[in-house]
Amino acid sequence: MVSWPHWIIVAIIMPMAGAVLTPIVSRKNDKAAPVWALFIMSLTSLAALFLIVRVAQEGPFSYLVGGWARPYGIELHFDEFSASIGIICLIGWLALLFSYHYVAESIPKPRIPYYYTLVLLNLTGMIGFVMTGDLFNLYVFMEILSLSAYALVAVSGERVAEMAAFKYLVMGAVSSLIILFSIGLLYAVTGSLNMADISTRLAGIESRLPVMLALAGMAMALMVKAAIFPLHIWLPDAHAIAPSPVSAILSGLVVKTGVFGLLRVYQIFYGAGTYELAGLNTTLIWLGAISIIMGAFFAIFQEDIKMMLAYSTISNVGYIVMGLGLASQYGIIGATVHIFNHALIKATLFLGAGALMYKTGYRTLTDLRGVGKAMPLTSMAMSIGAISIVGIPPTAGFLCKWYIALGAFQAGQPAFGFALVFGALFIFIYYIRMVNSFYFQPPTHPEILEVGEAPVSMLFPVLLLAALCLVMGILGRIPLSFIEPAVTRMLGG
Amino acid sequence: MDSQLTASIIPPLAFLIPILGAVVVVPLTRTSERWRAIGLSITCLLTVVVAAGLIPGVLDGQVYETYLLRLTPRIWMYMRVDAMGALFGITASTLWLLALIYSTGYMADEHRKSRYYAFFSLSLAWTMGVAYSGNLLTFLVFYELFSILTYPLVVHEETPEAMAAGTKYIIYILIGGSLVLLAIVFTFFLAGDQTLSTQGLLDMSMGKGNLLAIFWCFLVGFGVKAALVPLHGWVPDAHPAAPAPFSTVLSGVMVAAGSFGIMRVVFNVFGVSLLSELGVMQYVQYIAAFTVIFAAILAVNQDNLKRRLAYSTISQMGYVALGVSLLGEQAMIGALVHISNHAFMKGTLFLCAGLLIKHAGIHRVSEMRGIAKRMPVTMGAFAVAALAMIGTPPLSGFVSKWYLGLGMLDVDKPVYLAVLLGGALLAAVYLLPIVYAAYFKEPIPAGDITPADKKLEAPLSMLLPAVAAAAITLILGLAASAPGMPLSLARLAAKLAFH
Repeated sequence: MVSWPHWIIVAIIMPMAGAVLTPIVSRKNDKAAPVWALFIMSLTSLAALFLIVRVAQEGPFSYLVGGWARPYGIELHFDEFSASIGIICLIGWLALLFSYHYVAESIPKPRIPYYYTLVLLNLTGMIGFVMTGDLFNLYVFMEILSLSAYALVAVSGERVAEMAAFKYLVMGAVSSLIILFSIGLLYAVTGSLNMADISTRLAGIESRLPVMLALAGMAMALMVKAAIFPLHIWLPDAHAIAPSPVSAILSGLVVKTGVFGLLRVYQIFYGAGTYELAGLNTTLIWLGAISIIMGAFFAIFQEDIKMMLAYSTISNVGYIVMGLGLASQYGIIGATVHIFNHALIKATLFLGAGALMYKTGYRTLTDLRGVGKAMPLTSMAMSIGAISIVGIPPTAGFLCKWYIALGAFQAGQPAFGFALVFGALFIFIYYIRMVNSFYFQPPTHPEILEVGEAPVSMLFPVLLLAALCLVMGILGRIPLSFIEPAVTRMLGG
Repeated sequence: MDSQLTASIIPPLAFLIPILGAVVVVPLTRTSERWRAIGLSITCLLTVVVAAGLIPGVLDGQVYETYLLRLTPRIWMYMRVDAMGALFGITASTLWLLALIYSTGYMADEHRKSRYYAFFSLSLAWTMGVAYSGNLLTFLVFYELFSILTYPLVVHEETPEAMAAGTKYIIYILIGGSLVLLAIVFTFFLAGDQTLSTQGLLDMSMGKGNLLAIFWCFLVGFGVKAALVPLHGWVPDAHPAAPAPFSTVLSGVMVAAGSFGIMRVVFNVFGVSLLSELGVMQYVQYIAAFTVIFAAILAVNQDNLKRRLAYSTISQMGYVALGVSLLGEQAMIGALVHISNHAFMKGTLFLCAGLLIKHAGIHRVSEMRGIAKRMPVTMGAFAVAALAMIGTPPLSGFVSKWYLGLGMLDVDKPVYLAVLLGGALLAAVYLLPIVYAAYFKEPIPAGDITPADKKLEAPLSMLLPAVAAAAITLILGLAASAPGMPLSLARLAAKLAFH
């Protein structure tokens, strides 16, 4: 089973075909769309599972689409980093389950099948994005996931949502354009689109200027996608306005594609060996540190719970980018594992917030006071999320913080370890506000005490994710040791 | 005497049993106060039994160790019970047991009791974890858990004052915790994962600048918890705001956990010889000496009883830090023993303060005139603890101060004797007037609620823990040198650290 070579293409085709077929399947029956989407994602997750098992057993492997040899054909390449397909499938599946009740209330009925189409397309884009070995293909998948994300932000049809989506679209489209331009430059210089091939050919390139221009362009554009300060301005509105399951996908996964893209760029250039990346590294470290602080600073002033979570994403992507920029073994391991852990944590928080909003109808911290008594399980899950995101041991967030801080020492930049640790402190301040509002402050709306827990389709994803936040802290060595060989290979040349 | 490593599954029980209490006993007994009291008392008692059961072996030179699980590819969660940990563990669990029994009376008409008991039980678990941690990462895990997850107890009353105190608490504690984290990361980077043994993890070849940075991060980080002036700001606010049984363990054990952390750093991470070479300890001595006197002076002016006691805690923890910083064997014995002695002295005082609040409505020192006639037992226990705090022989406070004094002469720093005596004198100034007023002053004219001659003594469930704590104070003084007492453990720990 595991060694069947075509799982990798199944993992892409399956959700893509499923997305296209959703409106047809649910033509007669509205209820069919969510069930169909869940079914498709279950099959995709199975394929993902086989792929992850295979990479754990054999190490990285490639798949040549249609049998065309590289560098001419399209190559899908599955390495340890591609195993993030696991988290994409997990969060995607849980968000779809969560959507079942949530979306029925918040989206006009005729649009519901298209909502599921968009979610599946978005997941397809991300799955392809992490597995492709081809730069142009990377761009195509990035566009699939970006376009579906713009539409998902606007899906509720409210005026604010359209504004937020438009802002997201403009920023996203410009960054996509820059990426395309940079890919073109690299193609012009190296004559190849295959990443591994480009990496080898770059070593011998005489004229460095276009290469450096391409590098700068890609880095900047990917930073827009990753919402690094000061390129973050599209993120808070988009993530806060979108339906909560979409927020979970956007904040947990879509933002990370920017970081993941940076990781791939680093792979190409580390592979080439002869390029001086210190400038880019320094930029990333500084912007990462500034993002941590500024994200936390803005979050403190937010009353809207989803707005607060959105700003918290900016801080956390700051961690990841800082870890990448440190370019030390520990730093990069910490960063890649945080891609995974932050997705778990932020999905817990956004889905939890969605459950609160669904049951109470309120979304500001003041209005939500006392909800801890009314919805004890959801509130507990969100508190666990809050503790994890701040990095209190032994939760999922802690090990990443530990690794990135160690990475800072390893890179000879202890000052950034300091920034990281104290940024986390800043973050705690607003999560304490959230916990206070849930548990320790008298309710603003007494009727809030009467609402019960959300339905199982919403409660289960939230609780499962919260449990994973704890488990991945205690069993944190598993992802850490899984990713270690890939990072060693990447840094070693 | 060589210490001998013994693999054992007992140490983790010390934190697993209270966790069981929090996640199994509390939810199961939601509806029955009585069963909850019984169930939690049993878990707490079992914890004491575990802690006590480890002592004979430790005195025999055994070091119990347990590998729990691998947290990262390179670091284990690792428990290790040595003399220092055993001392802290038995102190914490015993005081917790008393405070828990006391809670069943004190919290009877409070709100959100399930939450209170769950977190109360959990905080014992984390404290035991801190006591028995075998390496820095394990220490950090438990230390952070117990810093953060006590927040619900600090703000339990949910009054605006409690919320403000809670915010102050969490900010101070988090800043401290962050510095500790940095120091531990840095230590790990330089020394790798090593057990906390008496050789020390670091050495001079790692660069003096690095070592100094690590040391001050540790000291300031733990200093926040240990309430070293000027890092003590949260202590006087958190104590009056929290429920009395929690103030008891907060003052008695949790503040001391900061001092315990400093001891681990001084004796296990750096080691005595490296620190003498670095020459930083004299500054710690200044800070500690200043803490002793400064906090004691502030205590004199407080009218709120729990606030006065909180300042007294700061001052007493200054003694511990002073004892550690002198880097002498006798002084270390004094410091270690004082952690345990202080826990029960201050425990008694806070338990009595809670009785005064609950049963006489007294929050302020100025309202205590003549109260001894109405609450003879409470005030009896209070008086014993107050005298012990001042250092009256043969009570327990005297023992620790005697060793501290010996230690000062031992390392040729007699000037600190003035601090020792000054602190004791000030303790007399801030505690004795309370006792005097309670026994010898005329009561306040007819109480608005109760007639002046009515007895206000609390029910046994609350009175007994207070009396027991006072009795322990007495025993720790009278039978100080009996085997198995804290003094014997402290002597062993000091012997290992200095030979």
